Amino acid sequence: MDGPSVAWYIALAAFLFGIGALGVLIRRNTLVVLLSLELMLNAGNLALIALSRHFHNGAGQIFALTVMAIAASEVCVGLGLVVALNRRNLSLDVDTLSELRG
Amino acid sequence: MTGGSWLCLLAPLVGTILITLCGTRIPRVAAAWIATTSVFVAFGGAVWAFLGVHAAQRCNGSNVCIGASSRGEITTAWTWLQSGHFSVGLQLLVDPLSTMMMLIVAGVGGLIVLYSIGYMDGDDEERRYFAYIAFFVFSMLMLVEGGNLLMLLVGWGLVGLSSYLLIGFWHERPSAVQAAKKAFIMNAFGDATMALAFFILIAHTNSLSFVALSGPLSSTQANLIALGLLGGAVAKSAQIPLQTWLPDAMEGPTPVSALIHAATMVTAGVYLIARTHVIFEQARTIELLAAGTGALTLLVAGLIALVQTDIKRVIAYSTMSQIGYMFVGVGVGGYANGMFHLMTHAFFKALLFMTAGLAIHALANEQDIRKMRGLGRVMPFTKWCFLAGALALVGIPPFAGFFSKDPIIASTLNIGWYGYVFYACCIAGAFLTGLYTFRLWFLVFPGEPSPFVREHYHDHHGREGAWTMLVPVGILAVLATVGGWIQFPPHWDPITKWLAPVAPSLPDAVASATQETVTSVVAVVVGLAGIAVAWAVYSERKIAIPAAPSLRRLLEEKFYFDTLYDRIFYAPAAWVATALRREFEEPVVLQTGTDLGNTTLATGGLVRRLQTGLLRTYVFFIAAGAAAVVLAFLIAK
Repeated sequence: MDGPSVAWYIALAAFLFGIGALGVLIRRNTLVVLLSLELMLNAGNLALIALSRHFHNGAGQIFALTVMAIAASEVCVGLGLVVALNRRNLSLDVDTLSELRG
Repeated sequence: MTGGSWLCLLAPLVGTILITLCGTRIPRVAAAWIATTSVFVAFGGAVWAFLGVHAAQRCNGSNVCIGASSRGEITTAWTWLQSGHFSVGLQLLVDPLSTMMMLIVAGVGGLIVLYSIGYMDGDDEERRYFAYIAFFVFSMLMLVEGGNLLMLLVGWGLVGLSSYLLIGFWHERPSAVQAAKKAFIMNAFGDATMALAFFILIAHTNSLSFVALSGPLSSTQANLIALGLLGGAVAKSAQIPLQTWLPDAMEGPTPVSALIHAATMVTAGVYLIARTHVIFEQARTIELLAAGTGALTLLVAGLIALVQTDIKRVIAYSTMSQIGYMFVGVGVGGYANGMFHLMTHAFFKALLFMTAGLAIHALANEQDIRKMRGLGRVMPFTKWCFLAGALALVGIPPFAGFFSKDPIIASTLNIGWYGYVFYACCIAGAFLTGLYTFRLWFLVFPGEPSPFVREHYHDHHGREGAWTMLVPVGILAVLATVGGWIQFPPHWDPITKWLAPVAPSLPDAVASATQETVTSVVAVVVGLAGIAVAWAVYSERKIAIPAAPSLRRLLEEKFYFDTLYDRIFYAPAAWVATALRREFEEPVVLQTGTDLGNTTLATGGLVRRLQTGLLRTYVFFIAAGAAAVVLAFLIAK
């Protein structure tokens, strides 16, 4: 078995996920929030692939590919929203976008 | 023979469908003639079937004919209903009993439909009327031709439906609608008891054929089945205690009354007992109960008829009374006697209703006999025809009723002590019949025309009515006069022999020659006495009408049956309904809806606070939730 043990990969994935989650929770800029989301998704991908290799099970890689496809679509929608907000000269601050408040 | 029965059954149905489909594209007269023709075609089919059965019955020369053909023939169009081993076919039965009924229903029915052409002329909804009336005849033919009990029940129900439609024909009158509903509900009660009887029969014999009735049944089962059938018969034939719908049914047009009373509907109960006599003979108590019901009804109806002032209602009560005689006849086991009286009654009762209809039609729809005095002067044809019907009803020789009623009375003599009670009731009934019939006669026809008659009488182009009305009346007047001559027991009994293969009379119900003679003499004398009293009271005014206000009130209130049913059935039902509305619907049902809405609103008000609209809150809750799940798993491990 070459390379570091799987625990390192998981730890790295958890670290990246934590950064992403904090970014979503703390940052107000819409673009940064989207970036943080991508970070969380790819942290998940990393964990999937690492475990896939660890258990010699290809299913995890397939999941990772699926997540990438979904992430790509999600970014399309998210960036599209950002562009639309910008074109209407609306704020890009997520805290001011609270139209759905009950 | 079977072709005739199908033709007979389907012709009126085709007539109904044609009138319905053509709608306003054909003139009213065309609709009327389609209905009339279809019923007469049905009569032709009935004659065809009759000739077939007649030929089959002469198979061995003697009067008792053994073999399938003389017991009748069942034709099955297709299997209508199948469930496991139980199956019911769309069957018609052609046998002496059913052909006799077919002839009466289609023959008298055809005359009545012809009569309605004149009577209904000018009514707004003539086409609807003729579609209904052809359907009524079809229903009744289905009832009498049905080859098994289910087909009979289908006809039974359809007769109830079409009577509902016709009694309520003038639907703009609230009283007509009420009467129609009343008739339908009363009949539905009978239908239900019949259906229950059929369920018992299916449970124990797995069949609904007429043959199944003679199958192995315990006496309790036989009693229950017979009781259920009797319930149906009593409801359809307007016997006590389900009689109250019949007088109210007079709200329909007069030809409908004639049809209900003479050819279709009320005679169905008598037919049913004759048709299913096998089960009634296994349950002799119930059969005698039928006779007892008839005896009671004929007295009660005769008494009530004495105080009625509506010409049609008097005749209606006389129908109840005469059906009572038929019930006595079939109840003691003399099926041929009952069926014979059914036939002659069809003639003279149709005649009485039609002559009453002529009078009503000529007097601008007035039905109150107190205004009609002296009508005979202006309507001599109506007068003489009515007299023929009245004499037939009272049973004065040589008119039809004499030949058919007296054997029924005589047949009660050999069955035991209760036979004497029935006998007494029948004789008393004969007196009442003479009294109320000739009360009607003396009040309406003889003497100088009353001012009302002079003012309102209008003839029809110089005649008393349209020819379509006068011709059937004339034919029926002849039939009411000579129609009874085809049987004069014990000397001459073609009808008894005709029916013997299907419904042989019980030996107890056959009276000896002496009994017949004595009974005939007594009944005629008593009937004449009734006429004499009516003459003395209502024509010569020699005897004052007894005051007896309480008795009079009892009769005018029809022995309080309606009031009783109001109190027993209507009032509690209405009370329960009101109470349920007040105690249950408003506080529970309606309030539940309101409460559900309010609670949902309040909960929504609480939950909406969670929706901050801030992205970070949602993310926080998701993360916290995920963390909680992970934590839970860790702890559980």
